[in-house]
Amino acid sequence: MNSAALAVDAEGVVKSFGAVRAVDGITIRVAPGEVYGVLGPNGAGKTTFLRMLFGLIRPDEGTLRVFGRSWDDDGTRVLEGVAGFVEAPRFYPYLTGRQNLVALARLDGGVRPGLIEEVLDTVDLADRADRKVDGYSYGMRQRLGVAAALLREPRLLVLDEPANGLDPAGIRDMRALVKRLADSGLTVLLSSHNMDEVEEICDNVTIMNRGAVAFHGSIADLRAMAPDPGHLLDTTDNARALEIADRHQVKTEADESGALHVVGPHDAVSGFVADVVAAQVRLKQFTPTQTPLEALFFMLTNTEAVAR
Amino acid sequence: MSATTAPAHGTTPRARTARAGFGATLGFELRKLRAQWRTRAVLLGALLLPIPVAFAIHAQGNPPKDSLFGRYATTNGFALALLVLGYAGQWVMPLLTAIVAGDIFASEDHHGTWKTILTRSVSRGSFFGAKTVAAMGFAILVLLILSASTIVTSVLVAGHGDLIGLSGQLIPASQAWHLVAMSWLTAIPPTVAFTGLAILLGIWSRSAAVGIAAPVVIGFVLQLVGSMGSAEALRPYLPTSAYEAWHGFLASPSFHGPFLTGLIASAVWAAITLGLSWTLLRRRDITGG
Repeated sequence: MNSAALAVDAEGVVKSFGAVRAVDGITIRVAPGEVYGVLGPNGAGKTTFLRMLFGLIRPDEGTLRVFGRSWDDDGTRVLEGVAGFVEAPRFYPYLTGRQNLVALARLDGGVRPGLIEEVLDTVDLADRADRKVDGYSYGMRQRLGVAAALLREPRLLVLDEPANGLDPAGIRDMRALVKRLADSGLTVLLSSHNMDEVEEICDNVTIMNRGAVAFHGSIADLRAMAPDPGHLLDTTDNARALEIADRHQVKTEADESGALHVVGPHDAVSGFVADVVAAQVRLKQFTPTQTPLEALFFMLTNTEAVAR
Repeated sequence: MSATTAPAHGTTPRARTARAGFGATLGFELRKLRAQWRTRAVLLGALLLPIPVAFAIHAQGNPPKDSLFGRYATTNGFALALLVLGYAGQWVMPLLTAIVAGDIFASEDHHGTWKTILTRSVSRGSFFGAKTVAAMGFAILVLLILSASTIVTSVLVAGHGDLIGLSGQLIPASQAWHLVAMSWLTAIPPTVAFTGLAILLGIWSRSAAVGIAAPVVIGFVLQLVGSMGSAEALRPYLPTSAYEAWHGFLASPSFHGPFLTGLIASAVWAAITLGLSWTLLRRRDITGG
């Protein structure tokens, strides 16, 4: 796919702040209609990359094109069809939510009638739109950020950790909203440090670590690389449980409290636990520790790059 | 969150290509200014503060004879308005100007909203122009309100008899109206220069406090520099001196040299400060917020 046909075409992008190389030669390509995740721990360079995409900062090296346009050649036309937010969305606290949207719509050259109400309804802020933003909760500001982005009727929606700082219900709602938007045909570039979020929503993913790409590929590729799931098992007789484990394809290791860390394929772990119960050993605790993708994420972001 | 589906645009993606022109960006800035209590407070202050000031001066038993037109300030409204102008040029006008100019850029840093507005297909140049015009326009509007309020209040409080000029000449009331108004209007060029200075300091420091307070302090320093004998050659080129350019209008024969010099000096100050401001803003990485 040539550069003009791609929603995002970043190649060899580098950005340093003083001696710190925040983004170190990353290449990311996002096709139209794709839901793309950029994953990494805090400080991985995700937000710096998104800031470059929006032209808030300029790359030191490399090329960055959005729908074939670059900042050097096209200036702010790069942002035509692009919307979103970087880090927590920010608004004018002395204006209401609706006034903020009306003011931003003015910057967009006006919006079609009814769109402001439509986007407020989409993010469930219609009944609180006339309160000053100063009194909004963090979650309300996040949703207002999504509404402000949707006002631009974008082809590419860029969301930087949209569920960050939200309570569990807010996270659930935000993910549902992003999923709906993605399902509607938008190209979505989603930054996150949460593997579950990306796995649930995205088609393809780039995992960044310390400014560089640690993995790039599809979620299916990622799953194929993932290690076995881990569980924490505590019973009334852990020594007996360890003996039973020898008969199964699971790895077990006792921690300081005596509880067992069990790692193995799902079926093997299930068989092992069934045998423990059959041996009249009572379970005190049996909980998953890390999902396979989480385990892979931690592995990738703490070891050498596994670029594909 | 609503169970409604995403806006219909998503199903048939199409990019909005409309972009705000300069007028829309300026409108955006004016909308924000109107919504801020500080802006309204300054405008209200410019309208109402001259009233108690005029009454307070008029009520003094001993007029401030050591100030220009102070000798007649309790008996002549035109003299009272010119006395207030003399004081206002020292720090009031730089302060009133800086309240918006020093804050209009720095507040985007304070609220973390640079990223909000710069991700909407509007260039930094457009925002720079709109904010500068808004700040300049506000400064001039405040000056005009302050002028009108002071002149009207002074005349109502102390009368509108003939004015004794700086050379001792008698200026008929009909002419005094015109000269006093002109004198106040000569404050526009240095006010524009101080607006540029406040914008520069606001952009450089990213702090509204610095953007607002520093121009006033710098104004005092420039007055001090202007009063030093060794810096006499510099004096005509300082924006603070331009606030005194009206003196020539009230002399006989009148002279306009200081006004023209102040006009040019103020324009140069504004051009330099705004040029530096743009250079700083254009190159800045927006990393905060």
